[in-house]
Amino acid sequence: MALDLTRESSTNMHEAGGSDAQRWIDEHGDYLYRFALVRVRDVSVAEDLVQETFLAALQGTRRESGPTAERRWMVGIIKHKVADYFRRIVREPLREGDPSDIPSIDDDFAADGHWKSEAGDGSGWPDNPDGLLERKQFWDVLALCLEKLPSRTAQVFTFREVDEMETDEICRLLHLSQTNLGVMLYRARKQLRTCLSVRYFGRTGEEAHP
Amino acid sequence: MLSDAMDRRLPWPTRIRMHVHLRMCQVCRRYQHQLSLLRDLLRRTPHSETEAAAPPPRLSAEAKARIRRALDPPHS
Repeated sequence: MALDLTRESSTNMHEAGGSDAQRWIDEHGDYLYRFALVRVRDVSVAEDLVQETFLAALQGTRRESGPTAERRWMVGIIKHKVADYFRRIVREPLREGDPSDIPSIDDDFAADGHWKSEAGDGSGWPDNPDGLLERKQFWDVLALCLEKLPSRTAQVFTFREVDEMETDEICRLLHLSQTNLGVMLYRARKQLRTCLSVRYFGRTGEEAHP
Repeated sequence: MLSDAMDRRLPWPTRIRMHVHLRMCQVCRRYQHQLSLLRDLLRRTPHSETEAAAPPPRLSAEAKARIRRALDPPHS
C-alpha cells in the first residue's frame, strides 16, 4: 500500500508512458479485476475489461494526483466499461443462476413468521457504524464474507448495495424477475449477516453485550 | 419481508402489519437494524480500504503479462 511519493507528481499520463502501465497492473490490477469479476461473472470478460480500463487510462488525463485519486479514477473508468459490456450483450439473455442460488426453504423463521433466536442471534452488532469504518479488520472480514456468496448472489447484491442500482434496472440488465431478485437479495443479506455475526461481531462484541 | 422493504415500498397494509410485528418481536427488530447497518457500511466502503487484505481472486500471471503487452506502445 505504501506508495512512492514521486509517482504522485505524474498527473499527465501521456508523459508517464509505459512505466506507469506496469505499476498500474501491480497496484490496481487485482482490485479492478475483482471489481469487474463480481459484476460480470466471467474471468476472460473481467480480464478484458481491466485491459480496456488501463488502455483508456493511458489515453486520458488524470486531474487529481495521489494514489487514492488514481484508484478512484480507474474505478470510474471500469464502471463505464462494465455498463458498456451489459449494453453489448443485452440481446443474449444470461443463464439463470447457479444451482446454489436456487431458493431453499427458510429455516431461520419459526412457523409464525418470527425470527428464531437460535438462528445466529448476532447480539454483538453495534448501534451505529461509526466505530467500524475505521477498523481495517472489519473490512477484511466483510470482504471475506462477500467472497463466500455464490457468484450470482454476489453479483446482484453488489449492483444493489454497492452500486446502489434500483431493482428495476437490475432486473432489466440481468433478465431476472422481481421475485427472483428479491429472493437473491434476501439470501445475500441473510448470509452476510450470519457471516459477520460469526466471524466478526461474535468475537469483538462480547464485551458490549454479554 | 424486511429485505423486501429495503428494495421497494411495500403496500400499506403490509407495512402496517410489519410495524405491528416489529413492535412485538425483538429479534426481528435487531435483524432489521443489522440489515440497515450492513447497507450503511457497504455504501461507505472506501475503494482502497479492503485492498490490503487483497483477497482472491486475483489476476493470473498470464493475464497480467497479456495486459502488459497490450499496454506497451507498438513502436517500443
